Amino acid sequence: MTLIIIVPLLLALYLSLIDLDQYTLRRWLDAPFLGLKNFGEAFGSGLPHAIWISVSFAVLATVATVPFGIAAALATQNAYRGRGLVRAVFLVPYVLPSFVVATVWRTMLQPDGIVNTVLAKAGIDGGLWLSGPKSYWTLILVEIWAAWPFIYLMALAGLQSVDSEVYEASAIDGADWWPKLVRVVLPYLRGPVLLACLLATLNHINNFTLPYVLFGAPAPDDVTVMPMIVYVTSFQSLRFGLSAAMAIVSLLIVAVPLFVYLRALRLDVHDEGGRR
Amino acid sequence: MSASSEAHRLLPRPLLVTVTVILCAMVLVPVLYILLASLNSDLGVASGEFWPGSFSVESYGRIWTTADLANGLVNSILVCALVAVASAVLGTMTAYVLVRHTFTGRLTILRGLVGLQSIPGTLMLLPVFVLFSSAGNYLGVTVVGTRWGLFLAYLTFALPFSTWVMVTYLRGLPRELEEAGRVDGASTPRILVRIIMPLSLPAIVVSGIFAFLLGWNDVLFASVLTRPGTRTAAVALSAFGSTQEGGALPVYSQVMAAALVSAAPVVLLYLVFQRYLVGGLTAGGVK
Repeated sequence: MTLIIIVPLLLALYLSLIDLDQYTLRRWLDAPFLGLKNFGEAFGSGLPHAIWISVSFAVLATVATVPFGIAAALATQNAYRGRGLVRAVFLVPYVLPSFVVATVWRTMLQPDGIVNTVLAKAGIDGGLWLSGPKSYWTLILVEIWAAWPFIYLMALAGLQSVDSEVYEASAIDGADWWPKLVRVVLPYLRGPVLLACLLATLNHINNFTLPYVLFGAPAPDDVTVMPMIVYVTSFQSLRFGLSAAMAIVSLLIVAVPLFVYLRALRLDVHDEGGRR
Repeated sequence: MSASSEAHRLLPRPLLVTVTVILCAMVLVPVLYILLASLNSDLGVASGEFWPGSFSVESYGRIWTTADLANGLVNSILVCALVAVASAVLGTMTAYVLVRHTFTGRLTILRGLVGLQSIPGTLMLLPVFVLFSSAGNYLGVTVVGTRWGLFLAYLTFALPFSTWVMVTYLRGLPRELEEAGRVDGASTPRILVRIIMPLSLPAIVVSGIFAFLLGWNDVLFASVLTRPGTRTAAVALSAFGSTQEGGALPVYSQVMAAALVSAAPVVLLYLVFQRYLVGGLTAGGVK
């Protein structure tokens, strides 16, 4: 088990230190040793730009999905006729595979696609969605469409942990819905939603499928996220060593939120260890 | 009764209706368009119709010759089903050991199980690719481009996830059940097969289904580790979608039909196992 995790990681670290390309790949054990040169080259090339795009994209997408997720959770918490159907609808974008979501949006966002046709009827010139500076916002919008149900699920789980006595107490106090929401209900959601944000940000940063299928590889400069630049450097430019160095750097960036998440989770594990 | 349900109401009715309608529209309008476009003709979609001039299922018939979809679906099903079974079985056994025995490094492994799910796929792909291709160069075994290679690659991701799902479930099983079995003189494998597995069947199913979905939804590994004969539905669909652009008449209706067909197995799994799966979604945070 540990072997499966450790061996590839160590190998990736070694690859990042050697000059590995399509010629040396056949005999990679004999490839020349470069030391940290790959890392130097990575930072001199497009990597800092890719880091900026990835991180800003992930944070923006996460922040934007939170209101949708919480609103959806609040709206489906109380039972009403047809709620089951509404809940199923809310899960649709999440259940659809990423590559399907990306393919259909790519088709809809073509210059002569349905989105521009509808916009043109409203008198708006949609322009190009899949190339140029607007592609960055396209990526964020599609990610929001696909990812908000995750926040919804986590918020719903949080809402279900609220004691019904809490509602009754605040009802007796005659609290109006807004103060009740802000003072009584939302504090219960802070924990689960923060955890959801952390996981969602990690998922956004690591998302390769959406930009890859939406824009193809190599992607326009404005959507060259970290997984994209690593992929293009290795499997199109065939500079495997350089690409491994980039991948290691992206791991270090992901490690920050990941570490926070594991810390938050550690409590569970310890609890469990104590109980057994 | 009605007073109490009124107390539980979080949003005033008009707001609740507005929120629900907006969110449903946001989801359903694109989905409805996809469905309508797949039932339209390629010409109709290209001319920008939202509502088809005439309905036909022609696109669903054509995709089997224009796109490499049948082959892709067969490959996806074969590889993912195998990943699902292998990681559910191995994951259950690993989880049992992790839950019932204390040993040094146990906590590290548990944390590793969770951490591994967030390691960038691109980082794992490189060493996996180099290892697989050197198996070809040094040992003379072809791995890159075969279904077995893809199976192995997916297993490295699916197994930690399945194990984690099983760990969270097995922790909740009372030990007394096993101890009763042990008093009767049953061996550990026997306890595992006769007591643990039947009791944790729902969790085993969930961990298997998630392993299946992990493979089904992957594009990254499949785009590198397959050749045309072994490529998965995900790669086939992406390739089909992207080759339509710039042509004389893009067959967008067929793209939509192919997209829906590739999504169908996943949607079906969710519909059948919905109750179990939603809990698992929040537990692991993996799509």
